[in-house]
Amino acid sequence: MNRRIKSLQLRLTVELAALFLVASCLAVGGLIYSAALTAGSVADRELALRAEDLARYVSLDEMSQKPRLDLPATLQQAYFAAAQQSVFAIRDKDGRLVEASTPEIGTMVARWPPADSEPSYFRLSNFGPSAQDYSGVSIRLDSAAGPLSVMVAEASGGDPLVHSILREFVFDIAWYVPPFVAVALLLAAYSVRRSLLPLRAASAQASAIGPESIALRLPEANVPTEALPLVVAVNHALDRLEQGFVIQRRFTANAAHELRTPLTIITARLDTLEGNGQVSALRDEVGRMNRLVEQLLCVARLDSVAMDVSAPVDLRQLAEEVVGSMAHLALLDCRTIALTGAEHSVVVTGNGVAIADALRNLIENALAHTAQGTEVVVEVHPEGAISVADSGPGIPAEDRPHIFERFWRGKGARAEGAGLGLAIVMEIVRAHGASITVSDQAPRGARFDLRFRTA
Amino acid sequence: MRLLVIEDEDRLSGILKSKLGEIGFTVDIAASAADATAALELINYDAAVLDLGLPDGDGLAVLTAARQAGKALPILILTARDAVEDRVAGLNAGADDYLTKPFAMTELVARIKALLRRPGGVLGMTLEAGNVRLDTIGRELTIGGIPTRLSRRELAILEQMMRRFGRIVPKAVPEEKLYGIDEEPDSNPIPVHVHHLRRQLEAAGANLGIHTIRGVGYILADTTA
Repeated sequence: MNRRIKSLQLRLTVELAALFLVASCLAVGGLIYSAALTAGSVADRELALRAEDLARYVSLDEMSQKPRLDLPATLQQAYFAAAQQSVFAIRDKDGRLVEASTPEIGTMVARWPPADSEPSYFRLSNFGPSAQDYSGVSIRLDSAAGPLSVMVAEASGGDPLVHSILREFVFDIAWYVPPFVAVALLLAAYSVRRSLLPLRAASAQASAIGPESIALRLPEANVPTEALPLVVAVNHALDRLEQGFVIQRRFTANAAHELRTPLTIITARLDTLEGNGQVSALRDEVGRMNRLVEQLLCVARLDSVAMDVSAPVDLRQLAEEVVGSMAHLALLDCRTIALTGAEHSVVVTGNGVAIADALRNLIENALAHTAQGTEVVVEVHPEGAISVADSGPGIPAEDRPHIFERFWRGKGARAEGAGLGLAIVMEIVRAHGASITVSDQAPRGARFDLRFRTA
Repeated sequence: MRLLVIEDEDRLSGILKSKLGEIGFTVDIAASAADATAALELINYDAAVLDLGLPDGDGLAVLTAARQAGKALPILILTARDAVEDRVAGLNAGADDYLTKPFAMTELVARIKALLRRPGGVLGMTLEAGNVRLDTIGRELTIGGIPTRLSRRELAILEQMMRRFGRIVPKAVPEEKLYGIDEEPDSNPIPVHVHHLRRQLEAAGANLGIHTIRGVGYILADTTA
């Protein structure tokens, strides 16, 4: 088959189509051949019957004591009217000609040996005045005038019986063949398609595998035996990759975890030092490091544990707690946070601790970008959403696709952020099947909208 | 004021001891769960700082044992940031507050002070913040050493704010809790009282300011900071 056809399905279908075509040609040919054979044997029997018929009308002439043919008028007419179509010759046991349809037949038969009791079939080519092909039989038959050699032949080109059988076959049976082939092909294409479905499912699954879903494997059930080794091998490869991934993540988590105690000690030591400019600069730097370690731990936690997102969470109450806990830090930085929107509880399904983390990161991000003396506004929407808006420079449209990537930082970003906050938010949003959008806040600033599925 | 710090990392406990000592606490260190339980039985501490990760057992066991022995002292737990369950379990087992590592020393001090300022706490009788001093028993207020008069309700609000100095006072604190259940219903909403209180603090030269956190509540904070 064509080596350039890459699709297994197409290749199988094309090959099957070729197979069907050859098979149906063979079948039709075979049928025609056997129909012709049947027609031939019917014709042979007809000839033998005719020979017997003729022999029956041969009697011994009283006068000359010689065999004599006495055909009834109807038969006489039938034979001699179509003298070129049907020919016969009858000889007696001594080889003398009794009767022949035409003199040429008589002359020709005279040279033949006497016939046997077993019928012997023969063909005559280009015989007689019309130069036709004949097929005939020669047989010894008993008659009232003793044993006879009877020869009967029929012009074969004009055998109407064979023709009618063939015609009947072609018109009555052979037209079934093309639709049959077509239906069989359709069935074959369908079944090829069906048998390849598990492979399609496997490839769909494969395309869903990424860093966030390393536990996914290709389905092995229903995969064709021929493809199974490939699928199993891919799954084993994925197992090994996952192991590597898990080790990597555990390392990150452990590293962050181990950094915590020394950082606590450094933080505490710095707090005990009398403040000059150097110390407070150091303090700020250690503060950033603390934040980074905290975020790394948060990322590691999100990566390692499947989050339970099935609990009812009151967004209003949660927002109040988060805003309340962050307000003092914002004040120290000469910024404020306000909570607006729904006055009553807004319950969604999710993980309260994680949603609080997400909100905290969004507020931190907003506080970092809004100017001193301005307000970050957190709004709880009754339909199960929280928005965080600042009045900073906003987020350029070309940056928006990247802000949720780990360690991504905008061009104008200040030094403190590690670029993990929004990535954490995104992970939490994903785990909740929630959505997050970024837009411009009028008259200036950025606005993040977090929408959850309501309980 | 005597504090028990239960922490196995001796570099950290050493700093805690010196820093807390500087601001007037007497600090004992217990480096294991067994030491901690023994110390808590022997001495009536005013508060305890408990690290949940101890070498010889779960810090939670220390907490549970103390509460079962009828110890009512405020206990602040230190937990790992990535152990949310620890945090929740700690609060359920009777901890009064929690702090995650790494923490800032100022934050720890503020939290401990807030715990001690609770009614019944060792700092809960006379509240001090900045140049403001409130005797919660005698209901006497001095600002910069000068006695100042406030209405009862304003005083009640100020007391709440001073007990939670530097932290949010939710605007939704039920009025009964604020004023006592036996008082006649108040005609003025809390924001009006807060407004008056703010103006009087300013007028009296207090170095404290009341910040409004829109939609959430109020924070009393140093204006000098």
